[in-house]
Amino acid sequence: MSTDLLPGTLELLVLKTLSLEPMHGWGISQRIRQMSRDVLDVSQGSLYPALVRMKRRGWIRSEWRTTENSRRARYYLITAAGTRELVSARESWARSSGAVNGVLAFEGGAP
Amino acid sequence: MSLVTDVLERMRSLVFRGREERDAAEELDFHLAMETAEHERRGLSPAEARRRARIDLGGPAQVQEEIRDARGTGLVDQVRQDIGYAFRSLRQHRSFALVTILILGLGIGANTATFSLVNALMLRPLPVADPHRLVTVGNTARTGSLSEGTPSADLFSYPAYDDLRRETRTLSAVYATGRTWPLDLRTSGSGPGEVDHPRGRFVSGNFFAVLGVPARLGRTFSEADDQAPGSGPVVVLSHGYWTRRFAADPGAIGRGITLNGTPMTIVGVTPPGFTGDLVGLERDLWIPLTMEPVLATNRDWLGDRNVSWLLLMGRLAPGATLEQARAEITGLVSRSLLDHAPADQHEAIERSLAEVGVPVGPGATGFSYTRHAFGPTLLLLMAAVGLVLLVVAANVANLMLARGAARTREMSIRLSLGAARRRVVQQLLTEAGVLALAGGALGLLLARFGSRMLVGLAGPNQPMPALSLDGRVVLFTAGLSLATVLLFGIAPALRSTQVELAGALRASGRSLTGGSGRLRLNRSLVVAQVALSTLLLVATGMIVRSLARLNEADLGLDRDRLVVAEIDAVPAGYSGARLAALREDLGIRLGSLGGVERSTWSENGLFSGTESGTSIDVSGFVPGTPADRQVAYDDVGPGYFATIGAHLVRGRDFAASDNATGSRVAVVNESFAAFYFRDGDAIGQTVVSDSTSYQIVGVVTDVKGREVRGSDAPRLYFAMAQIDDPPGRFNVAVRTAGDPAALVEPVRRALQAADPGLVISNVNPLSRLVLESLSQDRMATRVISSFGALALLLAALGLYGVMAYATVRRTGEFGLRMALGAQQSDVTRLVLGEALRLVGLGAAVGVPVALVAARLLRNQWFGIGPVDPPAIAMALAALLASAMLAAFLPAFRASRVPPLEALRSD
Repeated sequence: MSTDLLPGTLELLVLKTLSLEPMHGWGISQRIRQMSRDVLDVSQGSLYPALVRMKRRGWIRSEWRTTENSRRARYYLITAAGTRELVSARESWARSSGAVNGVLAFEGGAP
Repeated sequence: MSLVTDVLERMRSLVFRGREERDAAEELDFHLAMETAEHERRGLSPAEARRRARIDLGGPAQVQEEIRDARGTGLVDQVRQDIGYAFRSLRQHRSFALVTILILGLGIGANTATFSLVNALMLRPLPVADPHRLVTVGNTARTGSLSEGTPSADLFSYPAYDDLRRETRTLSAVYATGRTWPLDLRTSGSGPGEVDHPRGRFVSGNFFAVLGVPARLGRTFSEADDQAPGSGPVVVLSHGYWTRRFAADPGAIGRGITLNGTPMTIVGVTPPGFTGDLVGLERDLWIPLTMEPVLATNRDWLGDRNVSWLLLMGRLAPGATLEQARAEITGLVSRSLLDHAPADQHEAIERSLAEVGVPVGPGATGFSYTRHAFGPTLLLLMAAVGLVLLVVAANVANLMLARGAARTREMSIRLSLGAARRRVVQQLLTEAGVLALAGGALGLLLARFGSRMLVGLAGPNQPMPALSLDGRVVLFTAGLSLATVLLFGIAPALRSTQVELAGALRASGRSLTGGSGRLRLNRSLVVAQVALSTLLLVATGMIVRSLARLNEADLGLDRDRLVVAEIDAVPAGYSGARLAALREDLGIRLGSLGGVERSTWSENGLFSGTESGTSIDVSGFVPGTPADRQVAYDDVGPGYFATIGAHLVRGRDFAASDNATGSRVAVVNESFAAFYFRDGDAIGQTVVSDSTSYQIVGVVTDVKGREVRGSDAPRLYFAMAQIDDPPGRFNVAVRTAGDPAALVEPVRRALQAADPGLVISNVNPLSRLVLESLSQDRMATRVISSFGALALLLAALGLYGVMAYATVRRTGEFGLRMALGAQQSDVTRLVLGEALRLVGLGAAVGVPVALVAARLLRNQWFGIGPVDPPAIAMALAALLASAMLAAFLPAFRASRVPPLEALRSD
């Protein structure tokens, strides 16, 4: 089951995931699914292009490593700029989601 | 920060494209493997797990596309792809590619060649330091002028230069440059015959400093060299002259030479590439101005405010602008001229200041007589050659349209498979771009020969600048190639993709009579080509006829029976009475030569470029404006008119009795008589010039003594023997019984024999001088004729192409007609009629445009009006002939196809 994400939200989730530890693309999608209790299912077609874009903006970088099963995989790591972006993106998200919640909770009459 | 990483990432993706693709594939593979493992862990079989994983993840190809998009290198990738595709496609259709590149090369090459000449003559700055802060003062075309008499405002005397140099604030420094007379250079140890004639220039001591030209060897001039007459007997050589004459010997520095008999020392050599500040007139050496009176003891030009011979160049002071300099200099020069001139010159000076002003302009491109003389012709040529390029573009567009039409199938398949139209157009434009660049490269190559040919066409003795392929020319070529791409690439590209998909994909299904409407664009292009060719052909016809008129124009003298020569007796110390004796001697020596009928002399030679003017008062004439008192004059020897073959209308020629003791006489030309005496008789009237009264004793027909295109103006002749201060430099004219060319050497030897110290130069048959004076017209004629021929050829080729293509498409229709009873001749007539219609349309557009252009260029034509029916008739005849030739083959082929085959053809 997949849900449509607001643009920019995927980047926020990836940054959060990578801030915990470096991981490869599959790992990121698994983590996000896990952390969202199976609500958010990120497809390959969304994830990998997003990763390329985030690399271009200097928020993450990549390196090839070997996994525990001795396979070669591309791991992504968050950069200092990425960490800063995570902070500011969280604030944005809090602001906009708080605003949406406020509208939905409105009962009528003057605020 | 993120911009930097973005650009770096993009470039990395471009450079390591292959590796990126493989990495991405591997990454997706890994993802699939992990997903499969996950399913296996949940209990599915390996095969099931894999299938599940594949379904869940979807197709990797689409993901790869998305990743590629995200990389941001899309456009570059596309262009790279397109270029590769274009190369493959062109390699497949080799003949098309070769023909197109050849035609483009010709068109672009012709334009580049003409432009490189324009660049060298008009655009290229001097190879000096910071040329754009330089300012010229004076008429930049008068590089070889020397004017004696009332000072003008566009050529300066030495004292006037000195005034300006001291007083100017807007210029941080000013130098002066002036002509030399013919130089004889001898090195010690060379025999009497081993004399060289370097091209020299007098310059002030700060010349090299102001320009910022360092010495390559030795040193350049300093102020000390120019302090006082004789203080600097030194010369600086140009690199080229040092290499040619002194074999690039470093020991030449410090070596002594004699210049016109005066000992001088070589002190330096300039860097290669610097040949002075005169464009088109490369100099071999430079001499300090103050050496002038030393080198010519009888002629001190430095102290005399009435000898104007210098042009000035200055460097703007920091912060000063050209406008400020112009205002200041105009004021300074006016004041300097008026303060020092006697009262009777004031009026003339003020008029000169009002009419001409003090020319102050940007000095980056130096001084140039050639620019002034050839500039307008060159611009005309650029216009003509631009027209040729348009014809070329139309031709290539037609070729590409035809090719596009042949590719409808390919286009429809691509479009129906989902290619965006924009993308296909982009690819077709890239193909056009590749052709254009290849054509441009070929054009650059051809231009090297072309510009050399252009310079050669100008004539053997024409001063032309050295041509080089500098950045500006390359940029021009690139820009032209690109513009041509847009011109001939867009229409075909758009047209080719405008395919009706279903219809084009069907193998058959073309109606027999349809299809000819599609050719409207092709036809329009051919009409445009014909129109442009008509324009060029009419221009060709007119310029050829104009040249013929110029060549046989009546000059008012016997141009084919005269040898002329310049004599400079000043270095040998002649003056006053000795000059009269010398002239007598020369006359006797010449008269004793076999084949010489008679000889005479004059101050200003025929077709030699010099002219004298004076102000006069004519009895019974009231001048309307001060200009009415200014007239050109010449002082001449006895029998002048009989010698040169001018026709005396009334009165008599000069005689030997018109000498210092006789009464002062003058002869006038018909224009003079008509202007000053209206209906009266000029004979017996008085002319006062320089406080001397002259009685008019003869009226002669107007003589065109300076240029063939000269207008008829009043002219006055005096006897040289009656001039108070006869000129030390004068010209001799010798009338020959037979071919003057045979007498050139004998005349030279006879003149030199009178005194080895005389400088004899420019000994030529007059006919050759006249011919040389027309060299520009000849050059323009040859070039425009070539362009006209080229345009005609291209238009004919274009017409042939379209006719051939059209008839192929109409084969079905022709077959039908013949099956219904038409004869072969009917079909031929049909095709030829079509061709005639196209040509007629083109001519109908081209002739009016040609008439307008001819009117605009009316100064160019000689002896023919702006409307010249013979030229138009010639152009139309040429067009008709080529059209028939071009259409003949297709028409013939069309009529020969058997009807049944035509009906069956696809």
